[in-house]
Amino acid sequence: MKKPTSKKPSARAVLARLFGASAKGIAMEKSVLTGYATVGGAGVCVIGTCDGTYIDNAAALRLAAHVIDCVEHHPKTPIVMLVDSAGQEPNRVAEMLGLASYFGHLLSCLELARRKGHKLITVATGQAIGGAFICYGMFGDRIYALESASVGLMPIEAMSAVTKIPVPVLQKLSKTLPSLEFGAKPFALLGGVQEVWSAKDDVQAKLAKAIANSSTEDNRAELGKKRGGRKLALDVRKRVLASSLR
Amino acid sequence: MTSGPLFHEQTARQRIAALADTGSFAELLPPPERLTSPYLVQLGIPVSFDDGLVIGRAKIGGKKVYLAAQVGQFVGGAVGEIHGAKLTGLFKAAARDRVPCVLIIESGGVRLHEGSAGEIAIAETMRAIFECRAKKVPTIAVIATDIGAYGGMGILSTCCDFRVMTEHGRLGISGPIVIEKWMGKKAYDSSNRALVWKTSGGKTKYLLGDADALVHDGADAVRDAVAKLLGKSSPVSLKGVKERQKELEKRLKRFGDTADPDAVWKGMGVRNIEAASLASGPEFAALAKRGK
Repeated sequence: MKKPTSKKPSARAVLARLFGASAKGIAMEKSVLTGYATVGGAGVCVIGTCDGTYIDNAAALRLAAHVIDCVEHHPKTPIVMLVDSAGQEPNRVAEMLGLASYFGHLLSCLELARRKGHKLITVATGQAIGGAFICYGMFGDRIYALESASVGLMPIEAMSAVTKIPVPVLQKLSKTLPSLEFGAKPFALLGGVQEVWSAKDDVQAKLAKAIANSSTEDNRAELGKKRGGRKLALDVRKRVLASSLR
Repeated sequence: MTSGPLFHEQTARQRIAALADTGSFAELLPPPERLTSPYLVQLGIPVSFDDGLVIGRAKIGGKKVYLAAQVGQFVGGAVGEIHGAKLTGLFKAAARDRVPCVLIIESGGVRLHEGSAGEIAIAETMRAIFECRAKKVPTIAVIATDIGAYGGMGILSTCCDFRVMTEHGRLGISGPIVIEKWMGKKAYDSSNRALVWKTSGGKTKYLLGDADALVHDGADAVRDAVAKLLGKSSPVSLKGVKERQKELEKRLKRFGDTADPDAVWKGMGVRNIEAASLASGPEFAALAKRGK
């Protein structure tokens, strides 16, 4: 299968930028990352993907196993989730064996970690697309993205191919509806990303701060409204909550 | 076996009326409130006054529930900003009020016409579902149509405590047409309906343990299955996830190199493939004796 190519920095370079010398504690196997590193002098658990890999059943299990290891052996250690994946493995056998359930299991493991006091911080480092982002990264307490990351449902060209709406129409609309635009910045306008980190930023300091300021309260709808990218979600949710009381 | 209309042929509102105790359903943000998608308007696509999701309060067997049904006829039941916000709100209300939440899923996942907004809404709803689970508030997904639960909604369904399926229901992430496009017709012929259902249909999902009940394609049977689960919950625990990890590892080891769904059925204890293929949901469940 073709994998989308990119001219992004190597996976090791990204890890070194985020974790300095402690990045050596992160294993990279079949584009799945697991390990322990340090941020601002404190230990963190790291799970993730790299090289824009597709996430299959085995990858989901390896990520889940590492989360379980962290919960069992490193109580309350923050978990940093790195995302560079183009999507779920589009494969019939993967589907037959219940890829959705493997993802559900990974999410359950992360939920367990959250309930047991582990902070969950996501950094979208490369591609963070569709199901690959939903199956762990978007489940973080707080989600960040490198400016160079490709974040979103899908690029406008792909959206056009499926919906049969011409690319220029979607491009024009995306100027006023950032939800249709693809990338870290428009995703942040929707509240889906807390903050975008630029090439100039000291990302180790940013990550340390992100861990320190983390909260388990999901603030994405509030952010989306405040930033103007997702104007309706919060109010509709509030109306459901208010009318259900009556 | 029950008589009456087939569940998969009913509309979302008919399904809700058939599951809820007579007259007990009170819709929240009903169509007169005219909550329509601004995205679809700008794209010149017809809108729906409920944005393709019916939500409300109801009773099932005298027990209070929050009940929702996606409208598959409207953009494939796909999740846009409003649709998704209604879903998040309902599960949040369920967690707040400690009232079980039942979701009849009929959705291909994120509504592409609304881009990433629907994707974020699904992620937010997952958080709300786990809020319920932490409070031991039961969350139940019903998957009973060929539109099924796909994409982000397939993943979301696996976050609920329980999944009730019929043999018509399909559960997955990537649909057959997408996979065929990627892997070729040899790897997945999306026009081979038997193969499609053996890959993602209720029978296979029940056999593998991803569906908790496999019932007849009728409202009575679905309601009975839901009613039985309303008193139960399965909060996330270390013991639970460790067991599940082992189970999923074993499944992958046993069947990871198996292209033939019949081999999976046989491996899971089905002796007569032909009889099992023709069996109704409950007959199949009896034949298969899951866990044996």
